[in-house]
Amino acid sequence: MRNKMQSKKALSTLWFYVFATGVGFLIVIPLYWMIITALKTQTAIFTYPIEWFPSEITLENFTDLFARFPFGRVLLNSTIVSVAYSAISMVTCCMAAFAFAKIPFRGREALLKVYLATLMIPFQSTLIPLFMLFNSAGLSNTYSSVIIPSLFRVFGIFLLVQHMRTIPDDYIDAARIDGASYFTILWKVILPLSLPVIAGYAVITFMDAWNDYLWPLVMLTKPEMMTVPVALGMVNGQYERNFGVQMAGSLISIVPVVLIYLAAQSKMKDGLTLGGIKG
Amino acid sequence: MRKNRNNHALAASAFLAPSMVGFLLIAAIPFALSFAISFTSWSGIKGLELFSPSFWQSNFIGLENYSKILKSKEFWVSLLHVGQYMVLYIPLMLVSSLGIAMLLNKPRKGTAFFRLLFYIPVLTSWVAGAIIWKWVLDPQYGILNDILARIGISGPAWLQDAKWAMFGIVLASVWKDMGFYGLIFLGGLKNINPIYYEAAHLDGAGRFQSFLKITLPMLTPMVFFVLIISLINSFMLFPQVMIMTNAGPAGATQVIVERIYKYGFSYYKMGYASALSWLLFLIVFLFTYLQQKLQKKWVNYDA
Amino acid sequence: MLKKSTVILMVILMVLGLFAGCQAPAATETTEPVATDEAVAAQPAAPEAEEPITIDFMNFSANEGGLLTLGLMKDLFEKDNPNIKINIETFGYDTYATQLQTRVGGGDAPDCFELGLDAFPSYVDQSAVLSLDDLTAASTTDLSVLTEKSVQAFSLDGVKYGMPYSYSTVVLIYNKDLFDQAGVSYPTADWTWADADAAALKIKALGDDYYGLIQPISTYEFFKVVKQYNGGLLNDDNTAFTVNRAENVQALQRLVDNVQVTNICPSTEQRGSLDEWGMFKLGKTGMIVTGIWAFPSFTTDCAFAWDIAVEPGAETKATHYFANGLAVSADSKNAEAAYKWIEFLATSEQVAQLRIQLGWELPCATYQTAMDQYAKLTPPANRQAVFDSLDYVVPVPQIAQFSQMADILGAELEAAANGSKTPQQALDDAQAALEAAITLG
Repeated sequence: MRNKMQSKKALSTLWFYVFATGVGFLIVIPLYWMIITALKTQTAIFTYPIEWFPSEITLENFTDLFARFPFGRVLLNSTIVSVAYSAISMVTCCMAAFAFAKIPFRGREALLKVYLATLMIPFQSTLIPLFMLFNSAGLSNTYSSVIIPSLFRVFGIFLLVQHMRTIPDDYIDAARIDGASYFTILWKVILPLSLPVIAGYAVITFMDAWNDYLWPLVMLTKPEMMTVPVALGMVNGQYERNFGVQMAGSLISIVPVVLIYLAAQSKMKDGLTLGGIKG
Repeated sequence: MRKNRNNHALAASAFLAPSMVGFLLIAAIPFALSFAISFTSWSGIKGLELFSPSFWQSNFIGLENYSKILKSKEFWVSLLHVGQYMVLYIPLMLVSSLGIAMLLNKPRKGTAFFRLLFYIPVLTSWVAGAIIWKWVLDPQYGILNDILARIGISGPAWLQDAKWAMFGIVLASVWKDMGFYGLIFLGGLKNINPIYYEAAHLDGAGRFQSFLKITLPMLTPMVFFVLIISLINSFMLFPQVMIMTNAGPAGATQVIVERIYKYGFSYYKMGYASALSWLLFLIVFLFTYLQQKLQKKWVNYDA
Repeated sequence: MLKKSTVILMVILMVLGLFAGCQAPAATETTEPVATDEAVAAQPAAPEAEEPITIDFMNFSANEGGLLTLGLMKDLFEKDNPNIKINIETFGYDTYATQLQTRVGGGDAPDCFELGLDAFPSYVDQSAVLSLDDLTAASTTDLSVLTEKSVQAFSLDGVKYGMPYSYSTVVLIYNKDLFDQAGVSYPTADWTWADADAAALKIKALGDDYYGLIQPISTYEFFKVVKQYNGGLLNDDNTAFTVNRAENVQALQRLVDNVQVTNICPSTEQRGSLDEWGMFKLGKTGMIVTGIWAFPSFTTDCAFAWDIAVEPGAETKATHYFANGLAVSADSKNAEAAYKWIEFLATSEQVAQLRIQLGWELPCATYQTAMDQYAKLTPPANRQAVFDSLDYVVPVPQIAQFSQMADILGAELEAAANGSKTPQQALDDAQAALEAAITLG
């Protein structure tokens, strides 16, 4: 009996590694391509078929990157913007989601539908009106212009609403009996039970803010205000496609997001974090 | 504390206030402007003066944009292409992201590493992703046809073949998104009390059974979320199409948002583009409305 | 209960307030419009009002190695015009059109900006750019250094709307080594397509994955090719499409046959993920029809000897003319000052030199020393062909809807090229689609 269980476990573990590695391979190849492209010379990049083991490794793409822009400053801009964006977004989304999920008020469903509806218009059609609004308010080339949108992230609100709805109302009733205010309920009951989802959302929203392209493109036009994607978009000219520098920039760009991801990982503890439930 | 309706409304408004401010600035006002523009022949390359009567005199054309769009073959063809994308993409993406989440749920050696690995495509920009996939899907030197050849299948010309280009785009999109939705499912999976699994195991339930009877039902809120979001995003399909095929070959991957972008920023017909956006909005809204109605039938919020 | 939420709200507002004040260290220079007399503008040398005028200038060509020189130009100009300050904004080519449009459409147009020939008619059509006739007439600078053709390119209905900045043309580039290998004599300026196709066949015979001649089948090539057959995509006054004329069909037939019948031109499937340049660089294609902006790239990446010739013709020759120009925004409050700057840039010899050095495009300002310099650069050896090509240039159809036309026609051309439609069918469908979608002036 014991052996059977052990071999079953071993088999499923084996399965896991085979499958994960197989799919993982699919992911790794493109990443590997990005890395070697960043380290190749311009000519080598366009050699065809692809040189999988570059004969010559160079750091010229990285140095070129820093020569073209104040890339250190660009990284700083992206960091400031993304951190502020994620922080504010997490706060406002939790608050809004809590209201939608757990506070009974008239017009709740309708308002949620309206919020959701705002996802259904492509950004391209509101780009110029948005520009007019922000530009005439003097917000061009300021951090605020790209941070203010964090107040209204329907993706996050909707995600947390779906999650918070799974939290039984018993918990809330229990807290109310103890005389808790709505805020205390949010802070002491709902949030602790939502950590895995919030952690996941933190990563997603940081990444979204970091990789955001079109809006910073028109708002942050001075070289010293640019964020990473905007700066990298400047690399290609009318006739010159510089993949090496782009990939070098993309690789550097991935690092902070990966770090945030790893940090958030620790919050996604295995097993359930329960807090103060009683029957 | 008395459950007073006013208290609730007051509390709700306090919690909703920041998002409402954002809603006004980012959504309400620009949407209103865009809606107004859709009734004009505004080009997009001359200042928008919505408060000047002369602007309205020379640019107002009522519903002409809308009727032109509905009568154009191009609109319906683009819609069809979006539909093709959705039909292929959504099932594939659901299965793969759920599969990944399930795979990475149990703590094993190397799970953290794999979790990061699967997330990497999400972090890369479409510029990098498109270049990579254009190579993967290369008819002669690409890895996909290479693998297919080894199992005896002669692969199609993918992005150069009008019949297969969209499928190529679907593959690239699934690769890019599965870590993203996988992360969301993972959050949902972590929320399921392991007690249920233990109880089921004691009752003699197999792995597949507990998946069907416990995991899936408890994941339905998240599945619903992923479905809605991916549905909306599918209607908004854009960067892949621009970078990988530029709506080709011969217009085979033309989609609505690509048309909106072209009309607005290349053909300089912003009025027409706005009308397209609002028609798209209508369609997406209808779809999600239907989904929400059906929600009650299969989404289960009880813990 | 309310108190805590209010606190949070206040905190957020404070944080926002914090950031709203957080601006870039270099404060945005706001344009300070000073009343400039018309009379004063007519005498650029006369001393101006005390407050310096700031001119915003948007461009993309400086992005490819020209930033330093553009900065030097700015210093030079500001020295000669102490009351004008230039604020240069340079962007990447890919995003430039969107960025420019957002600024112009959003009511914050730069005073002057660079504009490609493709977008030019649209901006004129929408009255987004100023007519320059009065300003050029009043100018004391010698404008004869700008070629007649380039000035015409940026004029519509006889009125000048832009200063020509740089131009390029399309030539036939051939792989000398392959020609030697196949024993074919090099292309000359008199070649017709029949000559080219014959040579291509011989080179294709060298091996299985060899090709003879790459000719892109897109609207941007096609509008010129049809002229070689005395055809045309539009009628003479641009009021009607004539896409499915017999001459056009003939032109397309040859292009399609080269892919589908003789296969001297690779199909998109055969090219795979390589673009036309990539294919040529592999060294197994005899000739390619492409722009002179390919020279720097081919110089670095081609491992074989190559040279150029004027593009072959059919009934007659016709060659391409692409250009970038400089325009003044119709909304500019400092039009005269803005004009001075773009006039300076367009006629400057130093800028002309820079263009030559960068090697992608040629300056519209023809300075003999610069031209001689260009002619001496190799490869390719036969740079004279670039100048000879100018004798046969046909302009891009100057209609505001050219972008849309290019996309619609392009899709049909693609269909013909991959064999799913006959050339006649494709052009008939294109004609119908164009008439339905675009109303010409």
